[in-house]
Amino acid sequence: MINTFFNSGSLDSPAAFLASFLIGIAFGVALECAGFGSSRRLAGIFYFRDMAVLKVMFTAVIVAMLGVSYAKSFGWVTLDNVYFLHTLYAAQIVGGLIFGVGFVMGGWCPGTAAVGVASGKIDALVFLAGAVGGSILYNEFYPVVAPLTANDRGVVFGFESLGVSEAGFAFFFTLIAVGCFWGAEFIERKRAGATNGYWNSRFLKVFSSVLVIGAFGLFAAQTRPGAAHAEGAVSEESLLADIQGGADHFGAQELADRLMGGDASIMLVDIRTPEEYSGFHVRTAINIQVSDLPERLALRKNQGVIVLYSNGMTHPAQARDSLTRLGFRNVFQLTDGLQGFLDTCLRPVSLHDGPVSPALAAKIRAWREFFLSTPVASPAKTSILTSAEPLPAEVETGWLAQKLGREDLKLIDLRSQPEYNGGHILGAQSLNIESLRGNVNGLPSMLLPARLLAEHFSLLGLRPDDSIVVIWGDKIQDATLFGLACERLGHQRYAILRGGYSKWLSEKRPQDTRLPIVTATRYPVPEKSDDFTVGAKDVLAAIGKPGTVILDVRPADFFTGKKRDEARGGHVPGAFNRSFSDDVTKGEQFSTLKPVPELAEAYSRLIPMKGSPVIVHCRTGHQASQTYFVLTRLLGYTRVRWYDAGWTEWAARSELPVVSEVQPPTK
Amino acid sequence: MKPKSYSNPYLAGILLGLTLLASYLILGAGLGASAGIARAGAFCELAIAPARTLASQYFGGWGTHPLHYYLVFMLVGVFCGGLVSALLSDRCVVMVERGAGCSPFKRLLFSLVGGLVVGFASRLANGCTSGQALSGSAVLLTGSLLFLVSVFLGGYATAWFVRRQWND
Repeated sequence: MINTFFNSGSLDSPAAFLASFLIGIAFGVALECAGFGSSRRLAGIFYFRDMAVLKVMFTAVIVAMLGVSYAKSFGWVTLDNVYFLHTLYAAQIVGGLIFGVGFVMGGWCPGTAAVGVASGKIDALVFLAGAVGGSILYNEFYPVVAPLTANDRGVVFGFESLGVSEAGFAFFFTLIAVGCFWGAEFIERKRAGATNGYWNSRFLKVFSSVLVIGAFGLFAAQTRPGAAHAEGAVSEESLLADIQGGADHFGAQELADRLMGGDASIMLVDIRTPEEYSGFHVRTAINIQVSDLPERLALRKNQGVIVLYSNGMTHPAQARDSLTRLGFRNVFQLTDGLQGFLDTCLRPVSLHDGPVSPALAAKIRAWREFFLSTPVASPAKTSILTSAEPLPAEVETGWLAQKLGREDLKLIDLRSQPEYNGGHILGAQSLNIESLRGNVNGLPSMLLPARLLAEHFSLLGLRPDDSIVVIWGDKIQDATLFGLACERLGHQRYAILRGGYSKWLSEKRPQDTRLPIVTATRYPVPEKSDDFTVGAKDVLAAIGKPGTVILDVRPADFFTGKKRDEARGGHVPGAFNRSFSDDVTKGEQFSTLKPVPELAEAYSRLIPMKGSPVIVHCRTGHQASQTYFVLTRLLGYTRVRWYDAGWTEWAARSELPVVSEVQPPTK
Repeated sequence: MKPKSYSNPYLAGILLGLTLLASYLILGAGLGASAGIARAGAFCELAIAPARTLASQYFGGWGTHPLHYYLVFMLVGVFCGGLVSALLSDRCVVMVERGAGCSPFKRLLFSLVGGLVVGFASRLANGCTSGQALSGSAVLLTGSLLFLVSVFLGGYATAWFVRRQWND
């Protein structure tokens, strides 16, 4: 797969701007050479005088189509690395009809008018000024016309709509184009008496043949075994061809490598019963019952790769075929099922029958390490907390009980002081989380700047290589906000206690009432400011940016605007809502974050890829810190940022756009 | 100097097709022209009424720097490429292009109204002849193919009424 600017989320980088400019130059040269710097020539097609528009446009469409289709069959182009425009029937049909009226009136379209201005055409300049005005007009009338754009069908290909194979559609399309070329030449010869046309010329014969042969070649390219990794098919013939060629399979070793490499484009689905799943499953797999597959996978349709597995091969194969008929072109079954995966990738080298190459042996060791250890359930086995030993994001009470008393283990208890005084875990220090927040530049409840946080950490006797475990009372977000204070100081070795103090207490583990003896340290202040905190300006810039997700974690009523504590209710345009409390399971005695597979599944519906840019916010930054923790520490999202000032600031600044489902009170 | 004659339209089409292919493979997105114009519209409206623009549902989403967008740079490139090609082939002549029987004023009025309509329609359809008809059709998107057909339906339905601007 090619790492396009779109794929890396850097279409707004200077490099992409330069590339766009250069592509624009080639675009301009091509249009000018075609004679599209002349409105008379452009309008000619509507009077059957000059068919250049049809010839140039259709040639370009077919050439690019053949190029993209071959690139797809080689796996270079997928739905992940290329931005495809969505289909909205009403908007595109009505828009197209109106566009045609303006096109024939003005004699220009936007791109050709730019070339027209470059060619000195005053009418092109006037047309462009009109188009700028038309865009403003659209913005002003947007609330009226918006219903036309409401029904977004997502990325829909013509061959899907007609239920035919992609190669067949492309071939037929090419034939139409060639037919149009000959028709256009004929019309020009008859109507305009053109003598310098290409009718029956050697050039047109060769050109037509090349296009048709090129399109015919797509049939071979797209049924190549392996080609289907990027491309599936919907017809029964190609379904059968996939099965015969093994193109519906996904190899165990490739899967293991890609999962271990953190490839977020793969979604691994375990379709066995929940009991079997909870007994053992391949790490990162989520559990979905066969009958729920179409619904639960809807948002991943043709996005990335979906791999199904069960104990054997029958159920995944049937499910895969059924999903393919439903238009999924990105579903595969794991070759030889779970048993095959265990045999191929996870069986210890010593148990293999034949000789194993050293390279494969090393891989098997790495796979076993990755797939057979689970971060929360089996904490580190070594007895000394060295910085080489990974600290899980959440630690169990049992793990903590074993580690108590170690010098580089620091416990921070965020419960109220009376609760702390009544009994705490041996060695824990009390801290009021609010002491780490305050007014910064007029914004209330902001996490303090690094300089002040370092001062607090110094007084708590913390050192940069300490392992900090955060103990919380009734709010997980207290612990995660402390976590963000750690991150602002570049202190990565922190974990939160799963279930908090309540779980510790419910397990009748020992309590202590003595205050720990602490010597102040001098915690270093990082030189650079953190890279995860963003302001209103960054949120504003992220609105409407393809691939970027703005996640509002306040309760739904505040998101919709039904309830509000601020001047304005509602949410940032285009934001998604998932309440922070949806990530928490409340038990009788204690609460915990929901199991990772469940969270992973929920967020995979909201955020397209692990590397997608995400901005989380709530009202004060407190609740959003929990979602930040879930996304970055538990689920491995890599580009999550935190809008600390949140709705407090957004609602108060009237120039910032707000969407509310509740009509504001009339003045 | 006599302007050179236009290229073979099929060769120009191949050049255009390869440019589009490069755009998909390098940028990961197709060509586009109307987005650059619309961004200029947002820029103008921001200059006149910033609060209203930022609070509006469509332009508001583009933030305070609407020109900071790849398709704006592409549109500038189109102009520069067109200029170089027009100068090299002696086709750069300042004029109002029209039929001999049509007054310049009438032709410019048609251009202005046509521009207004096209500017509006390309926002509604989320693209113009470049983004939808060319780039979208080349990757066989259903909506883009429908847009292409609709443009020609709308054009042919109107052509007879505005034919006089080209009368010689």
